[in-house]
Amino acid sequence: MVKVRVFATLRGIVGKSELEVQADTVGELLEKLYNEYPKMKKELEKGAVILVNGKNIEHLEKLNTKLKDGDVVSIFPPVGGG
Amino acid sequence: MFGYMGKILRVNLTTGEIKVEELKEEDAKEFIGGRGLATKLLLEEIDPKVDPFSPENKLIFATGPLTGTTAPTGGRYMVVTKSPLTGFIASSNSGGFFGPELKFAGYDFLIVEGKADHPVYISIKDEDVEIKDASHLWGKRVGETTDKLLEEFGDKKARVACIGPAGEKLVRFANIMNDKHRAAGRSGVGAVMGSKNLKAVVVRGTKQVELADKEKFMSVVKEKIKKIKENPITGGGLPQYGTAVLVNIINENGLYPTYNFQTGVFKYAYEQSGEALAAKYLVRNHPCFACPIGCGRVSYHPAVGITEGPEYESIWALGATCGINDLASIVIANHLCDEFGLDTISTGGTLAAAMELYEKGIIKQEELGDAPPLRFGNSEVLHYYIEKIALREGFGDKLAEGSYRLAESYGHPEYSMSVKKQELPAYDPRGAEGHGVTYATSNRGGCHVRGYMISPEILGVPVKLDPHDVSEEKAKWVKIFQDLTAVIDSSGLCLFTSFALGADDYAEMLNAATGFDYTTDEWLKAGERVWNIERIFNLKAGLVPEKDDTLPKRFLEEPMPEGPNKGHVVKLHEILPKYYKLRGWDEKGYPTEEKLKELGLDKYY
Ligand code: SF4
Repeated sequence: MVKVRVFATLRGIVGKSELEVQADTVGELLEKLYNEYPKMKKELEKGAVILVNGKNIEHLEKLNTKLKDGDVVSIFPPVGGG
Repeated sequence: MFGYMGKILRVNLTTGEIKVEELKEEDAKEFIGGRGLATKLLLEEIDPKVDPFSPENKLIFATGPLTGTTAPTGGRYMVVTKSPLTGFIASSNSGGFFGPELKFAGYDFLIVEGKADHPVYISIKDEDVEIKDASHLWGKRVGETTDKLLEEFGDKKARVACIGPAGEKLVRFANIMNDKHRAAGRSGVGAVMGSKNLKAVVVRGTKQVELADKEKFMSVVKEKIKKIKENPITGGGLPQYGTAVLVNIINENGLYPTYNFQTGVFKYAYEQSGEALAAKYLVRNHPCFACPIGCGRVSYHPAVGITEGPEYESIWALGATCGINDLASIVIANHLCDEFGLDTISTGGTLAAAMELYEKGIIKQEELGDAPPLRFGNSEVLHYYIEKIALREGFGDKLAEGSYRLAESYGHPEYSMSVKKQELPAYDPRGAEGHGVTYATSNRGGCHVRGYMISPEILGVPVKLDPHDVSEEKAKWVKIFQDLTAVIDSSGLCLFTSFALGADDYAEMLNAATGFDYTTDEWLKAGERVWNIERIFNLKAGLVPEKDDTLPKRFLEEPMPEGPNKGHVVKLHEILPKYYKLRGWDEKGYPTEEKLKELGLDKYY
């Protein structure tokens, strides 16, 4: 199982801040989440930051990034500040 | 002159002379306004080697051509002076409503010179400008000072910028507060104000900013507001959670500085995030003048009542870097900093350095007497020492000098997490190399708003850059961000618009307001000119690039101990030469004659 943490507006959609999902890649994980929480897809279409153990998937293998048991996936809608 | 009021108000506190001068159009064209033009004036009018606390230093309140217009976030102004913290150029940006009001009174700039022989304030009602006695306000906190002045002034629509006790006591990181909770926060501009015995500026104006092409301006502005509203950051995350929405993402990425930057992961970050703040203390949003974003927070805590903030930086500075997790303590500490007139970043950064020095046995309890031990995680420390710093009492007197002077006095400057003696903000550069370069080269010292590389390196906006890349491409982005930021600051807009807008958007608004027909590249060139004139000021003030364009040793030599950036140090030596080259500077970091000629700045250096 992979631990998924969601933040900001996603918390309202998912109804909690953490959940567990079984998936082999980030792409697969997102599909499962979108099935369960269709609103999440809409929110993340505008851009998202997805980290696997703190590393941005943009600099790994994007949606093909492999997942294994115990990995932590953090998902953020577009955020900014300073 | 469209966009500008065309006037500079000059008040000499030594002689009592008050003058109004014309703003030169060619200056406005070259340096835009605000930060840029004020730096040019300061460089011409003072010797950059001057003691920042001497009457020879000047304090410039500077608006830009878009301040006071309906351009989205057109409420910003800058305070420019020589910094008592860094010894280099200081330019602190603030929002709220003070800047627009100064323009409505008819002035683009207020230049304060000399030093009054007793506490005074400057009262401005359009053309009616007076220096008034402020003895009864000396020692008062920001909230009370503001209320009393508004009452005395007799017009509740007036706006106040003032210092608190910290500015009076020349705390090197005292700020200027306007509208009670908005801060020209960094580099000690409040201490310069205090050194002039100037407690406040109260202003009320009844004029309007004339625009070159009103209709065009209105339609351009409408379109930019739409872009801002539709952007998920400026139209979603920022209004909903404020800047504190960053806490979690920065922490999850492993660059949330904790325990004075000893690590980049704080296990209690969740408890002090924007999400937690919204759930526990948020009352409503509070936008600055003409702002469609509204990141400002009005919050409530029974100990302090209704207050504002805390912002991301303040949450971090009064939280993680001091090892403090408890959000209630942070809300109270933030309120105290606002009331005393202290920069939250430098306050937290200095306390964190003191905590590390204490825990390493370098500062001894005997020296603190009965005061609380300076231990990480001790929230009692926050509230106690904030007051002691502001009043320069007991050990607070040493802390009031800032982390660098403190750590250096114990023979350990390496524990000060600062650049050019100014405390660093809330991002560990071991997790964002480009951001590290902006720290090292920032003209006003340790700072995140002189080229916010976190945006492309961590947030993926407007492009996704690998945080650990140190290529020429990265250096190129650093330069673009720095120059664009100089344009935005000089225009009078808020930097947060840049999450939604690009260089073209700013150029369009500026042209419609001023009637200048600059291309986007020409505006960016003006930004580059601003960057370089600041550099010239610093070089004349004694900057030695080889020594001063650097980072604390910790980032260069101590690998990040844990988290996603484990094992990383900053490869500044690899990227800095690339950056200098792109800037058109020599390999040591000095602007070349060729570059200065190209920018029309050779006469200044
Ligand atoms: S985005 Fe925030 S800081 Fe910027 S102008 Fe708006 S309310 Fe003020």
